[in-house]
Amino acid sequence: MNENLQRGSIYVNLLKFKYKNNVNETLLSLNIKIDSGEFIGLMGRTGAGKTTSLMLLNGLIPHFIEGDFEGDVITNTMNTKRYRIQTLARFAGLVLQDPETQIFGITLENDVAFGPANLGFDRKKISDVVKNSLKAVGLEGYEKRITSELSGGEKQRLAIAGVLAMEPEILILDEPTSELDPEGKFEIYNLLYNLNREKGVTIIISGHDSDEMLSYTDRIIVLENGMKVLDDNPKQLFKDVSLTQKLGLNPPETAIISNSLSKYCLINENLTTLKNEELISLVKNKFNGTKIKITSKNQSFTSPITPVIIETKNLTFSYQEKMNVLSGINLKIYAGEFVALIGKNGAGKTTFSKHLNGLLRPKVGQVFINSRNIYSTTTSQLSKEVGYVFQNPDHQIFSASVYDEIEFGLKKMNLSETDKSQRISEALSQVGLEGFQDRHPFTLGKGERQKLAFATVLAMKPKILIIDEPTTGQDLDGINKMMAMLKELYLSGYTIIMITHNMDIAAKYADRIIVFSNGKIVKDGPPNVVFYDFEILKSASISPPLCASFANQLRESGYKNYPVTSNEFISDLIVQFDGEGNVN
Amino acid sequence: MLIEYYPSNSFLHDLDVRTKLLGFFLLTFISFIFLSPIINFIIALLVVIIILKINAPLSRVKKLLTPLTPIFFIMIIITGFTYPTENFKTEFSQKIFFTLGIDNSWQFTVGGFLYGITLSLRIFIMVLASTILTFTTPIEDFLQLMKKIKIPYQFAFIITSGIRFIPTMQKKSEMIQEAQKARGAEIGSGGFIKNFKSHIMVLIPLIVDSIRMSDNLAIAMLNRGFGALKFTTDLHTIEMKTKDYLICISELCLVAISIWIKSNNIGVL
Repeated sequence: MNENLQRGSIYVNLLKFKYKNNVNETLLSLNIKIDSGEFIGLMGRTGAGKTTSLMLLNGLIPHFIEGDFEGDVITNTMNTKRYRIQTLARFAGLVLQDPETQIFGITLENDVAFGPANLGFDRKKISDVVKNSLKAVGLEGYEKRITSELSGGEKQRLAIAGVLAMEPEILILDEPTSELDPEGKFEIYNLLYNLNREKGVTIIISGHDSDEMLSYTDRIIVLENGMKVLDDNPKQLFKDVSLTQKLGLNPPETAIISNSLSKYCLINENLTTLKNEELISLVKNKFNGTKIKITSKNQSFTSPITPVIIETKNLTFSYQEKMNVLSGINLKIYAGEFVALIGKNGAGKTTFSKHLNGLLRPKVGQVFINSRNIYSTTTSQLSKEVGYVFQNPDHQIFSASVYDEIEFGLKKMNLSETDKSQRISEALSQVGLEGFQDRHPFTLGKGERQKLAFATVLAMKPKILIIDEPTTGQDLDGINKMMAMLKELYLSGYTIIMITHNMDIAAKYADRIIVFSNGKIVKDGPPNVVFYDFEILKSASISPPLCASFANQLRESGYKNYPVTSNEFISDLIVQFDGEGNVN
Repeated sequence: MLIEYYPSNSFLHDLDVRTKLLGFFLLTFISFIFLSPIINFIIALLVVIIILKINAPLSRVKKLLTPLTPIFFIMIIITGFTYPTENFKTEFSQKIFFTLGIDNSWQFTVGGFLYGITLSLRIFIMVLASTILTFTTPIEDFLQLMKKIKIPYQFAFIITSGIRFIPTMQKKSEMIQEAQKARGAEIGSGGFIKNFKSHIMVLIPLIVDSIRMSDNLAIAMLNRGFGALKFTTDLHTIEMKTKDYLICISELCLVAISIWIKSNNIGVL
């Protein structure tokens, strides 16, 4: 078993692990070997055992978390059974999902110094590691800043710096990017990559970011039901789109396009590539010299004929005397639209949405809901017209049963008992929680709690639904279920306003995209218009769906369409090269 | 936060925490031994001069004092009416300002009035002096002091993390209030019972969330090696300089003088 283990390596030979109060094993016969200097991605569905297995690696299991543990974990040549967590932490640093609970200092320098001070580094060394760690995560010069004033992405980087300051050989990260926008995500992966390549730190990261996993990791380990089901190079895994999906992972868009093309024999299977540039040049070559057969679809936008349900006039807002967070927003939203609000963090999406149900009041300008100025209507009164589903369901759950939780909002509506229970069961069936009425909300899983929060809003029968980042941090299954539910609600006539960072989802489901940047609306239109305004998107730090940039690069070759989903793009290519592929 | 450390390079910022703490206690002590408002007034003046000298953010000071003003008035009124003339030694204090009520049974005594002023000035001095202390002393200095008097570092950790999480909890509670309002709750309106009930809706998610957070915090602390050794490295040390000793000595002299004055029956009512 001790076959020349190196510093910075990990060797897991676990027979089983079962949490104290669980009936079933969370992890079963897990065999993992990680060499020094590798960059490993750990993937799998929610509940597959990713977090549990990461907690094995620095001794949190079995020392802190109680349970039934059989097997050996050797981290950095140390058997975790024989060392304290604090000792192991020196060599294998673990960064968790929520940065908020990992920051202990009032100023950044104090926070980063917390680890090394606990380990008894001398003061000179501490000041060096603090400087270096902050530099490594791009927070140089922020030493004296107050930690609570950082943005979400900066906090996550600080959490990493805090662990780096202990100079670990191995860095383990549990879904560090799940709450971040694409820009923040990119920064995290980039900095991990640099640590890995320049300092030789072994990196193990879990998450659902297929695109980043594909471009940054050396190897991907996939867990399912507590077992390792795949351990391979990311290209091998993602090349097989159906396998990727079967494992509950979201395949990268490049993989989807590349895979379909080879499936229809449009490109040689041996040539399949997961590199964007290579893939597009393959497609370009294919196009060159051929006559365009694809029927062009119009990019034009017809305004809906339904009445205006939301209107804002010159909506301007600022916190205290600071700069305007929103300036001069004029917007009309029509009944029955599915609107996606996009833009980087801090662009004003959430601030804008909070004006629509009166949580915030404009400094200048007006908001009209159903042609009525809501100037003097309280949020509570508006809740019958505008439902707002927040990101964190736990911020509103306070009752002892699912039924009571939903009933709460209905109490003030003077409904009869039968009416009430009718509405409650309707709301439960809309979100797929039938039969959960008597359950205690805190015995539900996170996904179910989110559905419950949705049901409490739906029971009020609002016509407008505002949903703040419904897919953040979810796995493929969770995303699909959530979006299927939203689509259902949209088809039954709700006006839906969704805040999202996921462009593929915005493109697939919304019929109108509104781009926010620096508190202004910089673009507003259907997906096939918005996602083709590359200049505006760039200035708003948004990357469009992959197929849009592909389509754009095929313009010289004569391709004229404006697809926004990979499927649209692929079906165009199939039309173009129909028959030809089969001959090959 | 209102009383948070305010970085600046005034004379007081440069003093050791022990010098400042001693000064704070001694000023409070002096303000308590005299009943007559005159000496307290002098101390109050001194405190005001200091607060002007340390470049303190006066808006924060104003916010601290505004809610106290009505309390000062109420105190003066109560002491004025409730302290009978027999309580006072000097003739001046035994005089009666004015009377109220049937048969003039409510007597407002001069002594009571002055005593009320003294009490108000004591509060005023304590609030301002403690503000000066916290404005000019970073939290690390207090923690080092705790270490010097052999309080375990875990205790210091509780204090820093407590302070660190105040803004986090404030933000959480705001988010929870928003979430509850958005589903039809009326928070902070209606009668007492209704109001109380509406706060339960905020408290329960806040407590549940805190419990979840505390689990994660424990894990994160271990990840950062908390408790690895019996000590932790000090990032910062406190040191008494010559000027600290000089000021401490003058502070003690001031108290000695005050006690001498007091023993000569000056400053009584």
